[in-house]
Amino acid sequence: MAQRRWLQTVTRHALPLLSSKPTTSLKPLPHLPASISLKSILSPKPLQQFLYTDPTLFHARSFSSSSRDDSENEEDDSEEGGEEEEEDYDSDSNEAEVDDVTVSGMKREYSAEEKEAEAAAIGYKVTGPLLPSDRVLKHREPVFAVVQVGSHQFKVSNGDCIYVERLKFCEVNDKLMLNKVLMLGTSTQTIIGRPILPDAAVHAVVEEHALDAKVIIFKKKRRKNYRRTKGHRQELTRLRIADIQGIEKPQPKVDPKQKMAAVKQQEKVSVAA
Amino acid sequence: MAWKGMWQLKKLVVSYCDWGGSSRGIRAFIESNLPAFKDSNPQLEVLTELSRGQHPCLKAFYKNKNERVVCVKNLASEDVLLHATRLRNALGRKVKKLPTRHVTKHPSVQGLAGVAAS
Repeated sequence: MAQRRWLQTVTRHALPLLSSKPTTSLKPLPHLPASISLKSILSPKPLQQFLYTDPTLFHARSFSSSSRDDSENEEDDSEEGGEEEEEDYDSDSNEAEVDDVTVSGMKREYSAEEKEAEAAAIGYKVTGPLLPSDRVLKHREPVFAVVQVGSHQFKVSNGDCIYVERLKFCEVNDKLMLNKVLMLGTSTQTIIGRPILPDAAVHAVVEEHALDAKVIIFKKKRRKNYRRTKGHRQELTRLRIADIQGIEKPQPKVDPKQKMAAVKQQEKVSVAA
Repeated sequence: MAWKGMWQLKKLVVSYCDWGGSSRGIRAFIESNLPAFKDSNPQLEVLTELSRGQHPCLKAFYKNKNERVVCVKNLASEDVLLHATRLRNALGRKVKKLPTRHVTKHPSVQGLAGVAAS
């Protein structure tokens, strides 16, 4: 009996709540614009495009430990979305062309735009040859960047050297701009891209196109008198990181020797006094 | 081959035979491609060397006193050009298995993980 009475009271209280008031959880979320209804989400529009073109869903393109203007970032968003779509189309057309070429069996000739598009897909851009007057290699700065070249990511600071898979369309002694920067940091500040930072760039110089050490591929099947040996040497490109742009660099510290000298002078002064 | 903008290959010696069949490609290379190769690499000293009865080869001398010899017997002239370009594009270091593809002198900016900043 007690249980039945309890149930009755519960239903009496709950029914009007359910019928009259719409619960708060069913309300449309306040920050979503009215144009985005459930239909538009469910429609067969590609998800990526939807995400990139709507600036309200992604407020900022980067997390930073220092405050930045939101409005600026939103502008970047819209531009970024446009670029990515273009790149997608480019890659599609390129793939089609590649197929054609392989069918015909000819060695492929690239036009300048195609070269640029492929280089952009890998994550670099050739900015010209290194002239003797250019002094790109500077002293070390306490800045690092995480940069993506092809499918590899490297944490670099200036003066480092990295080996990447051979980059087509660039010669030794060319200056490159690596534009897929995922993260930037100094000793006090860190900027994280979502996923990349559109304003940042890492400058590098091509030092070497070379072959890696030989790798021996040995295949063997037991009891079948089957052995195959094959050698392989991977083509690599060595890059020297020249500069990292997109973050405020801290002032270079005073040399420790100078500091010591200053301290000694102070001591002398105190002794004299 | 360019370390700080300085080409590391000093001298390239093209050694060939004027009679042998394995030198056919390199003879074509010397006639057709070598002048252009010389012009595009003014920093490079290119010599041709006649050694009769021997297979052809390319000998490269680097600034770090390293020496590399590539055999180019029975290769077509384009392949010889490819090998010559590879020699020019190299730094002349010893070819070893790379322990890491990222070489740095200063591994950390924000401090090593697990080491508290003092």
